[in-house]
Amino acid sequence: MLELRSIRVAYGAATALWDVSLVLENGGLLCVVGPNSAGKSTLINTIAGLNRLVSGQMLFDGKDMSAVRPHRFCQEGIAIVPESRRLFTKMTVRENLELGAYAPTARPYRQRSLDYVLDLFPALAQKMEQVSGALSGGQQQMVAIGRALMARPRLLLMDEPSLGLAPAIVNDMFAAIRRIHASGTAVLLVEQNVSMALEIAQRAAVLEEGRIVASGEANELLSRPEIVDAYLGSSEPVHG
Amino acid sequence: MRRSMSILTGLAAILAILPFTGFPASYEALLYLIFLWTTLAVSWNILSGFSGYFSFGHGAFFGIGMYTTGYLSTKMGLPFLATLPIAGLLSAAFAALIGAIAFRVHSVRGELFSLLTLAATFVIATIILNTSIDGGSGIYMSAVTVPSLAPTPSGTLYLLALLVTFATLLIALLVYHSRFGTGLFAIHDDEDAAEVMGVPTFRFKLAALVISSALAGVIGGVNALFVSYLTTVETFNVLTPLTVVLMAVLGGTRHWAGPAIGATAITLLLYSFTGGDSAVVGKIVMGVLLIAVILFMPNGLLGRLAVRRNRPRSADIAAVPERRAVVTQGSGEAAVLLRTSKLAKSFNGIHALRGVDVEVRRGEILGLLGPNGSGKSTFINVVSGHYLATAGTAVLRRDRISTLPAHRVARCGVSRTYQIPRPFSGLTVLENVALTAMFGVAQLGRAEAEAEAWKWLGFTGLAQHAAALPDALNLHQRKFLEFARALASGADLLMLDEVLSGLTPSEIDNAVEMIRRIRDQGTTIIFVEHVMRAVHALCDRVVVFNRGEVLASGAPGEVLSRPEVITAYLGRKDQTVDTAPASAPGEIEASLAA
Amino acid sequence: MDFPPIALLGQAVVNGIFAGAVYALLGLGLSLSWGLLRQINLSVFAIALSSGYLTYEMSSRGFDILLALLILPPLFFGLGVALQWGLERFKVASFNSLLITFGLTIIVEAVLQLIWTADVRRVESHYSDIKLRFADLFFPAPELIALALAVAVSLALWQVSRRTDIGKAMRAAAEDPAMAAAFGIDQNGLALILGGVDAAVAALGGIGIALVYTLAPSQIYGWLGVVFACVMLGGLARPLGPLIAGCAIGIVEALTMTVASPSWAPLVSFSLLLVVLLARPGRA
Repeated sequence: MLELRSIRVAYGAATALWDVSLVLENGGLLCVVGPNSAGKSTLINTIAGLNRLVSGQMLFDGKDMSAVRPHRFCQEGIAIVPESRRLFTKMTVRENLELGAYAPTARPYRQRSLDYVLDLFPALAQKMEQVSGALSGGQQQMVAIGRALMARPRLLLMDEPSLGLAPAIVNDMFAAIRRIHASGTAVLLVEQNVSMALEIAQRAAVLEEGRIVASGEANELLSRPEIVDAYLGSSEPVHG
Repeated sequence: MRRSMSILTGLAAILAILPFTGFPASYEALLYLIFLWTTLAVSWNILSGFSGYFSFGHGAFFGIGMYTTGYLSTKMGLPFLATLPIAGLLSAAFAALIGAIAFRVHSVRGELFSLLTLAATFVIATIILNTSIDGGSGIYMSAVTVPSLAPTPSGTLYLLALLVTFATLLIALLVYHSRFGTGLFAIHDDEDAAEVMGVPTFRFKLAALVISSALAGVIGGVNALFVSYLTTVETFNVLTPLTVVLMAVLGGTRHWAGPAIGATAITLLLYSFTGGDSAVVGKIVMGVLLIAVILFMPNGLLGRLAVRRNRPRSADIAAVPERRAVVTQGSGEAAVLLRTSKLAKSFNGIHALRGVDVEVRRGEILGLLGPNGSGKSTFINVVSGHYLATAGTAVLRRDRISTLPAHRVARCGVSRTYQIPRPFSGLTVLENVALTAMFGVAQLGRAEAEAEAWKWLGFTGLAQHAAALPDALNLHQRKFLEFARALASGADLLMLDEVLSGLTPSEIDNAVEMIRRIRDQGTTIIFVEHVMRAVHALCDRVVVFNRGEVLASGAPGEVLSRPEVITAYLGRKDQTVDTAPASAPGEIEASLAA
Repeated sequence: MDFPPIALLGQAVVNGIFAGAVYALLGLGLSLSWGLLRQINLSVFAIALSSGYLTYEMSSRGFDILLALLILPPLFFGLGVALQWGLERFKVASFNSLLITFGLTIIVEAVLQLIWTADVRRVESHYSDIKLRFADLFFPAPELIALALAVAVSLALWQVSRRTDIGKAMRAAAEDPAMAAAFGIDQNGLALILGGVDAAVAALGGIGIALVYTLAPSQIYGWLGVVFACVMLGGLARPLGPLIAGCAIGIVEALTMTVASPSWAPLVSFSLLLVVLLARPGRA
């Protein structure tokens, strides 16, 4: 479904991703882990169309996405739950959700999608008319996921969904992610919380300093020393 | 600079002779107008062009000057020449009042400042109109005696205007080459960074506004006699400040003489379009010019010239500067340089820092670690003075820095680098480094600051780029520029905020080496980082933050193997992990997921 | 100083509201583009005055003013779209939009002067003779039409912003353009529509000016300050803001003119503006 071929992404002079290659099959669930500033957010934002590629190719269902303008990515079937939610804070929960279905492919199904979201997150039903900026972190996260689902994506991108949330809420959220995946949506998840992420993912990849340094089946990756290394380093001296 | 000064003086001298040579009066009047607009445009530029705060109130200061002379010389009978300095002073006073209010408010930038100054113009005009100053009838200047400095009255006004213009250009030139000017340019490019590097932004902006308006006031006084009948409508016409802006932008706002060129060009242009319909066509041309300049020549005619100023003369690359004795690292008795006590910071209910106690010892490299959102960057921003702490204190040596504005904190000896480098894009590499030397601990004059800058450029290997603009450097070089800037400030404490992010492995090795050298010559370092191999290689001690609090501190190898630290990073609840050295690079398969 | 009779004060309030209506129409376009697009578009003044002059021209050739209401807004809508397109094509940054649109305003003012000369013009129509009267207060028809326009447009824009998809999309794009794009909102396209709407509303403002006031090219600048005050007091991108603030300013001005002297009136709005700018700088 999604194929990244040696993509390179830079912000001005700073290269954030170096020759990253990745494959996600239809309906799969891939988790990308790695320490801070490894490039995880850059990766997710690039797949969502928010960054341009310096080199390499991104194919979605075989279609080369470099010709597609940013605001059309949504129509292709890609939706994002960005880091720290990024809701339209001045607007109500209902308005945020409805805007998720703004794209012409999603709009006809707006009511049906809304029902699906409220079924996933029943707690939102009471909050529909509240200004989203006033909600708690966990509630905002639900709205952010809901907004993305309203776009009826075939690929759901999630950037550090557990960031800043209390552990109990994180559990509920990952349960919801499982349900979403079970209903047939492919999920690409970027996470710092390795243990939770690897519990739900089928496959995983480790990103360090802009490169993929390891990948494979999730439960196999769990025990590899590279993971700890990537996060906590070693006492091996630096060359030079 | 000397060359410019001699050219100016020479030109002024030649022009001063003209009234005595039987020069035609119509040309005298034209030159007078050129002088008038040059003074207005150049003086406006001292604040607005240099610092970027576009004022639309220049007409107000000009008008205050005109009415001061008008009122004092007619209704109070003061001799004309005596009114001129008073006109300047009064304009300056009003400017000081406006500036003291506007510049204090942090969010008054850009468009807001422009509109504020525009609104102030209308207020002042209305007050003058309604009180006995003008009273609606205007002021007739015909009864005022013109001093006889030249054969004709118009000649006298010409000479006076020439004198004021000469003074204005001289002041602009001096400011441009001074510490003050460098500070203004830094404010233009990045006011927050300038403040953190020690530039007293409030004082400098206010000073520039006051100087600028005083000059406008004086030429206004002269102009009162030239127009000979004052009305508020004509004097406080909104076209005046807008014409000034156009002239400066056309000539180039980053150069001290740019506005003079623009003023001359436009005055000549408008002069050739006088009378009836032509005046209207002249306005159309002006409008078209303004648009064309903004779209295609935003730096103005002299734009390119401004970049080349201060060509470095000789490359005086000294060996590693000996600033202080090499300090032994990490011993328990080493003096404490920085101590924070329950330091806290909240934003709108979000507790970024929840009371942290951190001790930084002289001569050490202290690693500051923690997952995303744990408060590390906030800590640096609070210590450097960019944010005011919500609670708690930070004490550097014996000074409490947590209550000081950022530029004072810089003076005490604290400096920082940014994760994404923030050099001043309009200043050369040399000037960027010299700036911190000027406004840092030692508060050096311009010449010594540049000498100091050369030393640090040599230390960081950037000497051959001294005359380049920061845009020409790659990321690695820009990060080293940040080092050079921080070092030139003379700071004892250097805070590095994720300085290695975005670098290639070999660049990282380079940077680590540089950081070691920096510490070895005496600077204490707080090192926020995620690249763990660098942390292991450099840090004497580490402190781990999590959710705004200190989680652990101690030696790197020991702290990073503690279970709670591992959990904080990885989210694992209970696992002791083997942190033996990683397998050799060849064993790691960077395989594609099948 | 004698305190004026109640009837006079009452009329002043009414006149103030009428003035506020015109301020509102002029301020709406400015407020929306500043708040939603971060552009300060001074061309609304040029458009308004041009529209006013065209109204004058139409009425002096015998056309009913109400015809102007049908023709001018769509015409200027197109011009507004073109202008917005130009600003985007040249990637004009926020502050420079102020300078460029100012340049355009200078040009337009000069062209108006070339065509219609600097003489003051007054629109004569049969509406000018109709005056409604209610309890000692006079409500002239032209002013009522202007007020009706202002209220109608403000309410319409308010509802569009709150209820329609496009209105919500614009608000979202103003807050977070990248996220809005991620959900299919094309900010560039919306900006073009907004540019057209602003120009159309400004054109209505011009018709309002023609109805209520006299026309002279130099007037463009006279409106500048008051309308800015109105926009800032009303809050950026709030559709009802300019109307409420405009009426407030208009009423205070009118009362000042009645109680004190007319020439103190400008002081009122600018002092208010200065105070607001400094007390609540977070607005912009």
